[in-house]
This record gives sequence, structure tokens and C-alpha cells, in this order.
Amino acid sequence: MTLTEMQGYAFFFLTVLLVVILYGYILHLYRSEKKGEQDYEKYGKMALDDELHDRPVEANPKDKNDKKEN
Amino acid sequence: MQSSAALEYDYSVAKLYMWTAVIFGIVGMTIGVLIASQLAFPELNYLMGEYGTFSRLRPLHTNVIIYGFTISGIMASFYYSAQRVLKVSLAELPFINALAKFQFLAYLVAATFLVISLAMGITASKEYAQMEWPLDILIVVYWVIWGINMFAMIGARREKALYISMWYYIACFLGVAMLYLFNNMEVPTYFFSGGLGHWYHSVSMYAGTNDALVQWWWGHNAVAFVFTVPIIAMIYYFLPKESGQAVYSYKLSLLSFWGLMFVYLWAGGHHLLWSTVPDWMQTMGSVFSVVLILPSWGSAINMLLTMKGEWNQLTENPLIKFMVLASTFYMLSTLEGPIQAVKSVNAIAHFTDWIPGHVHDGVLGWVAFMVFAALMHMAPRAFKREIYSKSLLEAQFWIQTTGVVLYFTSMWIAGITQGMMWRAVDEYGNLMYSFIDTVSVLHPYYTIRAIGGLLYLIGVLMFAYNFFMTATAGRKLEQEPQFRSPMA
Amino acid sequence: MFHWLEKNPFLFAVGVFVVIAFAGLVEILPSFTNAARPIKGLKPYTVLELAGKEVYKKDNCIACHSQLIRPFKAETDRYGKYSLSGEYAYDRPFLWGSKRTGPDLHRVGNYRTPDWHANHMWDPKSVVPASIMPAYKHQFKNLADLETAYAEAVTVKKVFNTPYGDDIQPSKAAFEKYYKEKALPEALKIAKAMKNKDVLAMVQQGKIPEIVALIAYLEHLK
Repeated sequence: MTLTEMQGYAFFFLTVLLVVILYGYILHLYRSEKKGEQDYEKYGKMALDDELHDRPVEANPKDKNDKKEN
Repeated sequence: MQSSAALEYDYSVAKLYMWTAVIFGIVGMTIGVLIASQLAFPELNYLMGEYGTFSRLRPLHTNVIIYGFTISGIMASFYYSAQRVLKVSLAELPFINALAKFQFLAYLVAATFLVISLAMGITASKEYAQMEWPLDILIVVYWVIWGINMFAMIGARREKALYISMWYYIACFLGVAMLYLFNNMEVPTYFFSGGLGHWYHSVSMYAGTNDALVQWWWGHNAVAFVFTVPIIAMIYYFLPKESGQAVYSYKLSLLSFWGLMFVYLWAGGHHLLWSTVPDWMQTMGSVFSVVLILPSWGSAINMLLTMKGEWNQLTENPLIKFMVLASTFYMLSTLEGPIQAVKSVNAIAHFTDWIPGHVHDGVLGWVAFMVFAALMHMAPRAFKREIYSKSLLEAQFWIQTTGVVLYFTSMWIAGITQGMMWRAVDEYGNLMYSFIDTVSVLHPYYTIRAIGGLLYLIGVLMFAYNFFMTATAGRKLEQEPQFRSPMA
Repeated sequence: MFHWLEKNPFLFAVGVFVVIAFAGLVEILPSFTNAARPIKGLKPYTVLELAGKEVYKKDNCIACHSQLIRPFKAETDRYGKYSLSGEYAYDRPFLWGSKRTGPDLHRVGNYRTPDWHANHMWDPKSVVPASIMPAYKHQFKNLADLETAYAEAVTVKKVFNTPYGDDIQPSKAAFEKYYKEKALPEALKIAKAMKNKDVLAMVQQGKIPEIVALIAYLEHLK
């Protein structure tokens, strides 16, 4: 097998793989929202409520100060 | 609660970059107008001796706009909005804050040397990667510091999820890092020749066709990761914030992100159509350029739909005008680019003025408009003053829009005219025009383009005045505005 | 399944990197060996020509001139045989350009003379009355940087095995010998063909102005 052929196969399968992952991701986005596991649209609020004292959309558990504040 | 009540976002680094964006904007676009005029009126080449010719000034124009104006705009936006979407103040991270200021210092040093070296003609000659190796190293250091700061801020965040703008900033960081490193691989000649010649001279690691491939992999993706990715990061923050409307579809923004990341890198081959690069790569370049319409329009439509039900803001708020027009121009140029990447169109368009025309509806209409809107949105918050003049902003908007339209329409006509004349043959199959015929015919279009550029520059000067007055003489604000920027 | 990606900045960064590096890995790296092979009979640039290439870079001719003839009849009629990959094997960096404000130069050595170039660079309008190209008179005064060009030849010989002879050695003495024995006679030939008295006098005094090096380079483009 020549280098060009290998390049061709590598390209083809990797592209298929990435396409599958991308479609899987689309499916995941819409399905998890339908099932009620996850609400993606709430993340849009991050740009709007961005004052330091605004309540985070999802608090980072690593942050210790946060527990005191809430 | 008490501790964070006193805590505020720290805009000191953002402010530094805001000023450099204004200054580099004026410098870069003044040179741009000069070189555009030189093409229409060649006598203008002799204003500064050997340092004033079109050829010497052109890289200065592109580099000052890319690395001066745009990067400043991006960094100002980053150091402003990253704090906010992560809900972490730089005041809480004194070391990172200091490092960011050091980064700014490195930026100034690099920019100064870049301008001097390009004026002197010290260049590696690859477009948008002209810097010789010592400057390359400085730029790598600069970029690494940015990465450290970015990830340190992310590490300290209060908000667990990363907002879509942060995704784009991270992608900008990684993309530019990878591409820049590979494209600038060069061997310093001084050290391999036992100390002969200039110490800063180097020779590219790649030769000929390989060099071209790597260069346009970068060249195109400098457009991707400097002129597109971080600008999308900016609009995803500033448009919702200024309008008070959340992004129309957050899911669509995530999808477009991954689509863009995957597809963009393949498109570089379209700069090398009909060249000596292997055919399949050229075809890949073409195909992926066309596919690229999808994720690009995904982002742009998402932005326009964000304004749904709030279109009245378009007439009331000039900043919204700038941003909506920016996303419209983004749609225009991401449609135009793929058209030019179709092989048969490229056969006519390549090497002609249609290409600079395309670049400029992207940079003038999309990048610069977004940067202006971002700077003006940040100004009242950073300086705690009202925007100095709304009517000035309105006037700027219309003058610059006219300028952009003159620019790209004249270049479309010029490009297609020249492309067709180059290939025109008479009934016996002989070429109909000598090369100089195809140059002389462009004079009116070059003149119109220079006028368009001049209008745009006037707009920039109005903006600079407005910005300066906002920072120094705007009415003082008691409280940071929440959404719409207050203006007099 | 994907939710971790949106929360973990490190894994996210890795994901982005894989996706953006993919094109480069598949597209660019594997073809390197093929594209780098020179065509038969291709000679590396002489040191004088390399110095000329530096002038070409310094005054940034690439802003307006391409060096790539595409395989169309209109182009081959106008400029000559279309370009082949192997012809660029010694071009570091490549100088294809991206804009033709002026004509292509890949085979300019076939149809222009040193005399024509000299007039053109001194005053473009003297040979092409409608030209919008600026004059490059400073090239007749500034000296070409042969030493740096020599250093470049030494470097590419060492690092990339570019086939240079034994006269290219990493030492100052070797350079000075080369300058006197090879570069000056080569420059003198160009200067005589240029029919410019001042330039000829300079070369006879042992000084090589930029214009001579540049014309040597342009003459190499065939």
C-alpha cells in the first residue's frame, strides 16, 4: 500500500468518524433537552446576568466562597 | 456576600488594549488609504523615499491591521468579557492581573519592532507571517502568556459551564498557536554559517510547493482564527448583552462551533487552486470551502434571530446597527469566499482585485464594525462615563457603510474585468490585450476604492474622537449600565 | 454523553485541538517528500542570485507580482510554460505571490534583458509608459548583502543538502574568496549587460549594488 492510499483511507475513515460524532452531538443536544435532562438554552443567560453578584447558571463546586454566598 | 459586594471587575488591562486598538486602527487604515491611492495615482509612491513605495507599505498595512488593530480589539474584549462570563474578577487574581499587564508590555515591544523591521524591509516574505525569527519567538511568548492567563481565569471561575464565547477564545488560542508555530519554522542562517551575515536572517524549513501549502494553511486560517473565531466570540457576548436578548438558540451556537472547527482548516487549499499543489488537495479546498457556508451562516443567522421581536432597537441604538450589519457582512463574505473557491470561478478571480475586495468586505464590514461596537459597549463600563455622542456614532455608521460598499463593488468590477481581459482572445486565438491594457482599465475603480477607503478612515477618526471624548468628558455614570449602553 | 465536554476546559481544549489538527495531519504532512523533489537539471541559486532574491523580498515585489503560471492557454501564451512543482525545490520561502497587479515573473528571464530591467527599475514609465509601478532608484545605490546570502547558501547546504559545491564553506575567509572569485565576475557580467556606467564603475571597484543582484535573480527565473 502506498502512502497516498493510506492517506486516502485515513482521511476517509477519520472524516466518517468525525461526522458520526458531530451528528451524535446534535442528537444528544436535542434529545437530552426533550427528555428534560438538560436545558441548554439557559446557558444563553450567562452573557446577560454577568455581574459578580449575579447567581451563576451553574455554580462551580470547586469555588468555596460560593457556598457562603448562596 | 459582603466580600464580593466590594469586589468589582477589573478593566485595567482591557482599557490598555482599547487604546491600542484605536491607535493602531488609525495608523493601519491611514496606510491603507495611502496605498490604495498609490494604485490610482502612482506619484504618491515617492512621499518617503524607499520606505514609501506601495510594496514596502502593503505588509505594514496588513500587519498593523491584523496584529495591531484586530488583536488589540480581541484582547480588550477578552479581558473584559472573560471576567464577566466566568464571574471572576482579575482583582481577585493579582498575579494573573500583573501577568496580563506584562503581556501587554510584550505586545507593545513586539509591535514596535514589527513596524520598524517591516519598514526596513526585514521580512520572511510569507504573507501575514513576515516577522523574522527573533520576533516570532517574542510573539510565541506573548501568546503563551495569554494561554496561561486564560486557563488561570477559567480555573478560578464561579460559573461552571463555559459560555460559547469562551469556546471561541480557546479555539482562537489553540488554532493560532498551532498554525503559527508550524508556518514559522525557519533556520537562522547566522548560527549555521559560523556567524556570517545578519543575525536575524533565516531561511524557511520548507521549500517551494510545501512552503506554499503550509503558508496558506496558515494564511487562510489566520483569517479563520484571528478574523473569524474571536470575532464570533465577541458578537456572542456583546450583541446579547447590548440588546438584553439571550442568544436565539444556544444549541445552534454549539453546533456551528464544532462545524466551523472541523471544516475551516481544510479550506486553505483554495488559495492554491490551479497551482502545483496535488489535485486532490485543491479539490478538498474547494469542497470544504463550500461546506463552510453552513457553520458560518449558522452563527450569523443565530445572531440575527437574537434580535427577533426587538428590531426596533436597530433604529434606536447605533451599536446594534453596527453589530447587525457586521453579521450581515459576515454572511456576505462567507458566501462570497466559497464562490471564489469554486475552481472555475477561481480561474478568473485568482490574482485579481476581487480577492482584496472579498477580504475587505470581511474585515471592514465584519471585523472592524464588530470591534467598534465592542469598544463602544465597553467604554461606558470601563470609564464609568456615558458615550459622548450618539449622533456621531450614527454618522460614522453611515459614512463607513458607504465606504465599504464603494470598496467592494469597485473591486468586484475591477477583478472580474481584469480576469476576463487576461484570458480574452480574438478570432484567431491570440491574446487580445497586453498586460498593461488590463492595468490601465482599472484606474477608475482604483480611484473609487481609494475614495471608499477614505470615507472609512474618516469614520475611524470620528470614532477615535468619540472614544477619546467618552473616556475623558462623557457624563459620569453612577452605576454600571446593565444592557443598553447610555449615550448622549 | 457529551456533557463533560462542555464543563471541562482541558478536555474541551484537547477536543478542539484534535479537530483542527486533523486537516493538517492528513493533508499536508504525507505529501512533503513528493513535492520537495527538484526537476532534472535544476540548479540552486548562486549566492548573487540569492542576494537578489533578498532584494526581491525586501522591496516586496511579491505584493504585486506572482511567480506561478497556471495551466491555462491564456497564461501559457502570455508567460510561457506552466509552472511545475519541482521547479520550486530550492525556493525558500516560496514566492508565488497572491496578487497580479503586475504580470507574472516566473519565466521573466526568458523575455527580458538586464538592460530592460535596469531601465524599468530606474523609471518604469521609460519602458512601459502607462505603468503604475514605482521606481526603485535606491537599488542602484544600496549595496546587496552578499554575506547574508552566502550564509543562507551555507545553511541550506548543511541543513537541507542543497547541492552546492565546495566553494560554499562556513567561514569568513571562504566567503571572501568566493566573493572575489565567483560573485564579482558574475556581477560584472550583469553590470556590463545593464549598460549603466555608474553601476559598472561600482562593480569594478568591487561593490555590488542591489540592482545587479536583483537582475541576476530575475535572469535566473526561466
